[in-house]
Amino acid sequence: MAQITIDGETYEVGDGLTILEALDQLGVLMNEVELPHYCWHPKLSVDGSCRLCQVEIEGVPKLQIACNTPVRDGMVIHTKSERVEQARRGVMELLLLNHPLDCPICDQAGECKLQDYAFDYGVKHARTDLPRRPAKKGFELGPTIVFDQERCILCRRCVRFCREVSQTGELGVFQRGERSLLETFPGAELDNPYSMNVADICPVGALTTKDFRFKVRVWFLDDVPSICNQCGRGCNINASRSNNRVYRFVPRRNDAVNQTWICDHGRMSYKGLTEGRCTEARVGSRRVNYDEAVSTAGDRLRSAIDAKRPIVVVASPFASNEDLFVLQRLIGDLGCEPGTFAIERGDSDALLIRADKCPNAEGARALGFLESDAAVGEAAIALVLGRVAPERLVNVETQVQLVSHEADISVSADVVLPVRSHAEYLGSFTNFERRAQRFSPFLEPCFEAWSFGDALTEIARAAKVLGWEQPFDVIRVSRELAQAVPAFAGLDLESLPAEGAPLR
Amino acid sequence: MKPETRKKIDELFRHYPERRGALLPAIYLVQEEFGYVGPEAARELAEIFEIAPVAVWEVLTFYNMFYTEPQGRHHVYVCTNLPCSLRGARPLIRCLEERLGVHAGETTADGRITLGHEECLGSCGTAPVMRVDGVYHENLDLERALAIVDQLD
Repeated sequence: MAQITIDGETYEVGDGLTILEALDQLGVLMNEVELPHYCWHPKLSVDGSCRLCQVEIEGVPKLQIACNTPVRDGMVIHTKSERVEQARRGVMELLLLNHPLDCPICDQAGECKLQDYAFDYGVKHARTDLPRRPAKKGFELGPTIVFDQERCILCRRCVRFCREVSQTGELGVFQRGERSLLETFPGAELDNPYSMNVADICPVGALTTKDFRFKVRVWFLDDVPSICNQCGRGCNINASRSNNRVYRFVPRRNDAVNQTWICDHGRMSYKGLTEGRCTEARVGSRRVNYDEAVSTAGDRLRSAIDAKRPIVVVASPFASNEDLFVLQRLIGDLGCEPGTFAIERGDSDALLIRADKCPNAEGARALGFLESDAAVGEAAIALVLGRVAPERLVNVETQVQLVSHEADISVSADVVLPVRSHAEYLGSFTNFERRAQRFSPFLEPCFEAWSFGDALTEIARAAKVLGWEQPFDVIRVSRELAQAVPAFAGLDLESLPAEGAPLR
Repeated sequence: MKPETRKKIDELFRHYPERRGALLPAIYLVQEEFGYVGPEAARELAEIFEIAPVAVWEVLTFYNMFYTEPQGRHHVYVCTNLPCSLRGARPLIRCLEERLGVHAGETTADGRITLGHEECLGSCGTAPVMRVDGVYHENLDLERALAIVDQLD
């Protein structure tokens, strides 16, 4: 361990770290210690090209870059001294020499580090009236990214991302000195499953995603922490929303799950949240209001209970831990066969993308559901969560299906209840490494739809199942889950930290 | 790429602790064969060196002495750094541009001459200096410069 002092505050840090790394690991970088930087990124190699993170170290004659200077025991660092501020002003003047003053039409404005530090350290007037260097404007680097070359400050974060993270190496800095330009190899494209991360890490407005470009000003957006539901990884995301509409997903840092990245497929999955939704309850082919569908389902469930006929349950790996806990309890109270769930599988890679294309298979397993795609046994009624292969239900008389999307409705469904997507309620998923992670609602459906847990509870209440008098309350249910299932001990939604926690 | 060039590159690898170290001399060899190193040749080099094509392209575009486009039969480069400029390099290059009908950085339509300007040639004492096919011509005036260029075939 080494003891370092920064602006009078003393910190214990690990040996062998650079100053910025140490601050990042302590979690104080950019909150307690405001140390401006462009090229350094916690998940990329050191570049040392932007020179903005220069600090004064006592006993060292020249200013040093914090990103590439290892900590030493007893090191005394100043980040606010006049020398440091003067160096920052110098760096900013050079960076702004060729940077266009087009913030009013730039998508990065509002979340632009160059803009922020230009306010803090920028000179008000350029000391040259020479024209800014000409560069290409708004050209497509590939299918996902648009590049405004004249805004680029050559920090090479994107270059390093493509080499070190996606390992596709499409980008490079060509020419040299003041002629340096970021580009792809002649005729090649920036095209990989993680390409849009370069727009997140670009500290300026040079790289923007085709999808989000010019859609909305970022200061109108608020970010709600959520979890991507496209595969078993459960990447942490922020959903940027405004006026009950989601405009983009951006990765939320979680070093134990997705670092600071997300795949393009997951990022674009926000579109599916509102497209093709199941908006109306149905009984047979008749459209009914929600209550009628619930009471019909309840009546059919009651008759099956009274006739002592078998009831089956098909769970969904898209339902939350709390939903599945409610379902498991209902299974217990109805005395039916163990519930099953099926997983759709697809492509995977070594970075983030998992083959199991669902967010909560481990949660379903931990709660006692069995993975199976075999046909269920003969039953009077089946309670089905989400999409189901029709051949699994050939032996079922009445099929009650709870779905979020039109395409998931089974042809043989007798009662259809629209349910909320994970964007529309509070809950938690358990990722492939058995890590429970909370997601919060960021949209409100403009039609009647309840969460799985809510709808199941209402069906049980309508059927007058003993012990199901209380309405669904996700916080209460999550506390009961934490008490009843040892794996979830202490992991109720209120106790679960923002970065999630492994099951016990 | 000719098999001889390829063989020479393989031979180069023996002289460097890492393959990548041989990239500069290898680019020279390829340029010797084609007169320039275009994207296709750069891709081939990248394959031989087992690195990304952009990595080759970065090196290629970094250095002045590598050409990524076909060049003229003769290379005429005029130094326009400070001492040469003070001694008349800029009127000199404008005069050559006029005579050849191209801008600095371009090649004449008949493929005879590529004209360019150059950073310091390290011969400030004899400014202005021009490099023609690797040979220095020093203490130039307009007449001499034109005469030298005119006699290139």
